[in-house]
Amino acid sequence: MRYLQSNASRAPIKFRMPTSENLVPIRLDIEVDGQRFKDAFTWNPSDPDSEVISFAKRTIKDLKLPPTFITHVAQSIQTQLAEFRSLEGQVMYCTEKIVVLKIDLRVNNTVIRDQFQWDLSNLDSDPEEFARTFCRDLNISDPEVGPAIAVAIREQLYEMAAQNVTSAREIRVAKKGRRVDQISNSKGAGNGLDLSKSFGSKASVIRKRKDWHLYGPMVDSLTNEEVGNIEAKEDRRSQ
Amino acid sequence: MEQKSPEGLVSTDPDRELYTIPNRSSWFQWDEIHETEKRELGEFFDGSSFSRNPRVYKEYRDFIINKYREDASRRLTFTEVRRSLVGDVGSIHRVFLFLDRWGLINFSTSDGDRAAAAGIDSGGGAFSVALEDGPPSTVKVVPSPNSSKGLSAQLAFGSKVVEAGSSFRLPPLTSYSDVFSQQTPLAGRVCGDCGEECISGYYESQSGIVICVKCFENERSGPGKRGEGYKFYDQKIDSAKHLANQWTDRETLSLLEAIVSKGPDWDLIANHVRRSRLDCIGKLIQLPFGEHMGTHGGKFDQRNSMSQQGGESVKCTLPDMFQQESGHESDDIAPESTGEPPRKRKPFPSLGDASDSLVEQVASLSALAGPHVASAAAEAVISALCEEHPFAKKVFTLGDDEIQDSDIYFASKCGPMSDLKVEDGENDEPSDELECKTGRSFSHSMFRINAATATAFGAVAARARLLADQEERQIECLMASIIDLQIKKMLHKMKHFGELESIMEEQYAQIQQLKEDILQEWIDISQRALSAGIPRWKDHGLPKSLPNRSSIT
Repeated sequence: MRYLQSNASRAPIKFRMPTSENLVPIRLDIEVDGQRFKDAFTWNPSDPDSEVISFAKRTIKDLKLPPTFITHVAQSIQTQLAEFRSLEGQVMYCTEKIVVLKIDLRVNNTVIRDQFQWDLSNLDSDPEEFARTFCRDLNISDPEVGPAIAVAIREQLYEMAAQNVTSAREIRVAKKGRRVDQISNSKGAGNGLDLSKSFGSKASVIRKRKDWHLYGPMVDSLTNEEVGNIEAKEDRRSQ
Repeated sequence: MEQKSPEGLVSTDPDRELYTIPNRSSWFQWDEIHETEKRELGEFFDGSSFSRNPRVYKEYRDFIINKYREDASRRLTFTEVRRSLVGDVGSIHRVFLFLDRWGLINFSTSDGDRAAAAGIDSGGGAFSVALEDGPPSTVKVVPSPNSSKGLSAQLAFGSKVVEAGSSFRLPPLTSYSDVFSQQTPLAGRVCGDCGEECISGYYESQSGIVICVKCFENERSGPGKRGEGYKFYDQKIDSAKHLANQWTDRETLSLLEAIVSKGPDWDLIANHVRRSRLDCIGKLIQLPFGEHMGTHGGKFDQRNSMSQQGGESVKCTLPDMFQQESGHESDDIAPESTGEPPRKRKPFPSLGDASDSLVEQVASLSALAGPHVASAAAEAVISALCEEHPFAKKVFTLGDDEIQDSDIYFASKCGPMSDLKVEDGENDEPSDELECKTGRSFSHSMFRINAATATAFGAVAARARLLADQEERQIECLMASIIDLQIKKMLHKMKHFGELESIMEEQYAQIQQLKEDILQEWIDISQRALSAGIPRWKDHGLPKSLPNRSSIT
């Protein structure tokens, strides 16, 4: 069992995103005066905070939204960054933990459902690269899909890492508008694979054929009408 | 994507199927994990993770490669692979990229796919790559004018058709020999319709189909209208071009001159005419045969005058079998009168010109074969002819005196003239003979021509035989030298082996010596140990093993 030994000997590190690039997923969902602004992106926590304001200004300007949005946007980003930074001081034990990530997204006219396994301790992982490959392999042309997938992965990783750090207390992440959370909370988080069972000398890493469809991606493209219906429904729910 | 290197083959697959992988990936082994893999995918081999170990790696690798080989023509995607594999998608992705980079997967898939993939990758924007599924650029689809009939021609001249490759279908019931047997090189173009050689010229379409003029005309007037896209080639011009040499009269003349003046040395002649040796010989053989027989026309006169300008050496061109010229006598004498020493070759150009190429041919061929052979051949031919036809005998016997005469005449004039004289005599003689006996001339000349022809054949056969014998001797000689060398080689090898053996024996003796020494030492030590009072060896192996060894020795 030298693998376990080596696992145990792995040095604990300070909390960070369990990916090669330490980028924090940020999700915005702001409504002011009947106008709604939703967005998701990643942020480098080592960037100075002054960047946040200029980013907010530029974004709002580019999108031709009323300037009242600027403070809201900046505030939201700051809050989420602060949340991340509050964890940064804590020690993270990088034990090997393979979790199931689920993707259930709609970006414009494309609906993506997928499920795959991710090693939380693999600090070389790259969600952006994964998303790029995903889009290339499935011939997804919409340029917004890739980043959306990457952010969705990061959000789940972030959440699990945070849970890992503060196993005692529940972390409240901004759950607003997060479509993935419910699933990952109920099933994915803390639900690591039994490593010795999956990777022991007797097990095969080839998945059983009947499970293949579960772990394969599903991509649907919707007509504009369907998109309209779904958006109306979502709006109603959020209100 | 990387530059593709020449392909190597891996045949270790249990199915013994051959798959193509790049040469640079020839390290790959199904049963082993190569250093390259350990180096590039270190995380599987450093033992840092429970889910990433060599066994898992090998399983990933084998699965991905097998998955690809289920259908090597399509591009295997990571997304397709990962749903079947348990484990961290990041690690699987790294394995996938590694295999892809080394060409172990997705190597045979077309560049187009890769380019398209790359385009999506870099562009990022809305893309619409339309891949046209046309035939590859190397394939030309040839419109066949008449699919059944045009086949042989298409194949006959078809490097183009060969290019057409997959698009070309043989009609049913075509045998191999039907299609490929008559493809001896382009002696002439063969018509795609009637299958005959295009003598007068042919039309060639852009696609390389050849149709002779007759068929072309028929076809154009007929129902299947075509004609556009066909180019006319005059066969004569074409063939002349093909030979790359059309002889002008002047060149021909200079050739003849050269033959007269330089004698049988073809190198000199070729130099004089500025053509290759083969060209000269070919031209000489090609010179029209019997064209002027019986009909002497302007051409002949022209040649006569030309030859007179051309110098004394060609002056003796005039005598013809069928035509008496007053200048005949003087022509023969002319060389002497100009003081030029008589040449051995002198008679034969005269003959050659007289009856054009046949006699020349005979002369040159018999010159090749050598005098004795040719004379023997001539004799044999004459006797054969005599047997064949009683009249011939008469002709020859009647002419015998004159032959003798002319023989002597030529012998005195030309010295070692040998067989050629015989023919020359024969051929020259009618000129005298005809003077008085015109009635007999035709049959006479017939027999003589027959004789000459047959002589030529005989001479050539003899020559060929000689050459063949020579070649055979040479081959034997070479074989002998080869065998000799082989034997030498074997002897050298034997010597080496002998040396090796002696060295081995020496070493063996040394080793034996060493063994005895060691045994002696051991006995010494054990005796001392006994005397010193050490009760027993702790290690039982040594005393046990040694007797064994000594028993071997």
